[in-house]
Amino acid sequence: MQTATHMLRTGRHGALFQLQMAVRDLRNSFGRIGLAWSLAWHDVGSRYRGSILGPFWITLSMGLMVLGIGFLYANLFGIALNVFLPYVALGIVFFGVITGTVTEGCDTFVKAAGMLSQTSLPMFTFVWRTIFRNLINLAHHLVIVVAVLAYYGYWRSADIPLALIGIALMVVNAGWLSLLAGIASARFRDIPQIVASVMQFAIFVTPVFWLPDRFGDNHAVLQFNPFYHLLQAVRAPLMDKAVEPGSYVVLVTMAVVGWALTFAVFARTRRRIVHYL
Amino acid sequence: MTRDPVSITCTDLTLRFPVYGADAKSLKKALARVVAVGGALGRHAGVTDVTALQSVNLRLKAGDRLGLIGHNGSGKTTLLRALSGAYEPDEGTIEVHGRIAALLDLGLGIDPTATGLENIRLRGRIAGLTAREVEERMEEITTFTGLGPFLAMPVKTYSAGMQARLAFAAATAVEADVLLMDEWIAVGDAEFQRLAHKRLLKLVERAGILVLATHEVPLLKLYCNKVMRLDGGVASEIVDIRKLDELLAA
Repeated sequence: MQTATHMLRTGRHGALFQLQMAVRDLRNSFGRIGLAWSLAWHDVGSRYRGSILGPFWITLSMGLMVLGIGFLYANLFGIALNVFLPYVALGIVFFGVITGTVTEGCDTFVKAAGMLSQTSLPMFTFVWRTIFRNLINLAHHLVIVVAVLAYYGYWRSADIPLALIGIALMVVNAGWLSLLAGIASARFRDIPQIVASVMQFAIFVTPVFWLPDRFGDNHAVLQFNPFYHLLQAVRAPLMDKAVEPGSYVVLVTMAVVGWALTFAVFARTRRRIVHYL
Repeated sequence: MTRDPVSITCTDLTLRFPVYGADAKSLKKALARVVAVGGALGRHAGVTDVTALQSVNLRLKAGDRLGLIGHNGSGKTTLLRALSGAYEPDEGTIEVHGRIAALLDLGLGIDPTATGLENIRLRGRIAGLTAREVEERMEEITTFTGLGPFLAMPVKTYSAGMQARLAFAAATAVEADVLLMDEWIAVGDAEFQRLAHKRLLKLVERAGILVLATHEVPLLKLYCNKVMRLDGGVASEIVDIRKLDELLAA
């Protein structure tokens, strides 16, 4: 009986070896990327199972929230609806990608405990599962984005390619935050609460519901807020505004440093994560 | 890619579990410890190690059906999980040539709110089948469950026996060279048990190697040709099944 499938697990230690194993985990997860998709779709499906509208609830509830907050705050702040409603719609939808990916990242490994403790599935499969699930949500929300941009005429001037680059930067950065939250939450069960609080605070301190010009563009609350840059890189191109070059510098630096740091933590804790659970 | 004979090799396999008590999982406790002890964090943050397997040596080739015996907590399940690739050794190596199927927990990947059919697909995907392979096996699996129209209903509406039928059918639909099983999975009514037995035999025949942990002597004698005993993580020699009584008496 011959076989080409081979599994080798050794008790070797050392930083370089652990890094190699982490890279191998990542590579194997790409080989089974279809599984991550299946799991993500399954998650979305089971959340709305039994409801009449199904996953359309994702779109509907977001639509109601955007309309409610849009009309209310536009009146409250005395801002024209055609400026404010698209602004809030984009803000809530895209900030939701960040919050969703990071807060659900806390459950990445905890919820996969059963599978991780009796299979050799790559750990990264579950990281992709969390990210893909949020991308599927985003796809449902895009209906609202497109509707609002079309209704208020922004579609003519929107710079779609630049916005896509912005979305990519957003997902890449949310990705490492998600993985880091996942590892930390597996080890310390207080982390999910902390992450939830931080993200809740972030949504108010970042110009999601309010316009940044009330502060002036270079205010510290904006410049030192990574979430502001993340959001601007997506929202500004769609609303015919320029993205400051500085934002891209921040985002790329953050992505590189963040992933390097997180991957190092992953390499160091990978063999232990299954024992944390 | 080189092709090798199906085999399992463990050399000086030692596995230690850090036990993170309910305390250690709380960040407050960990922080308090850092503050109080002031830098004694290097003392492994108060985490206790439990040695689950101690220098286990194991060599199996195609045709070997190894029975693992030993008291509760002797390391049988840990060894199976290590062989499945879930645990990484602290010392020594585990090497497995062949596709591994671990039937350790029948409930793996079962979502009670999803329908029976959805669960079969999910389970198949987790076991490493492509979406297409799952569809190809679908008919065979659904027939085997004997659940008929119930497969379109959520699994939470099933009786315990029906759930076990579904899980068993889905879990055993895989093709494997190395089959790892924890306890003999005795499920369902008498009729289903007969079918299950036949199916398992077929699976065992297809698989090159079987490693089975069980307390039941008749089952050992029925399925295994070799036995190994674990005591507190220390393994005995692998002996022929005919010497089972000596091993049990030891």
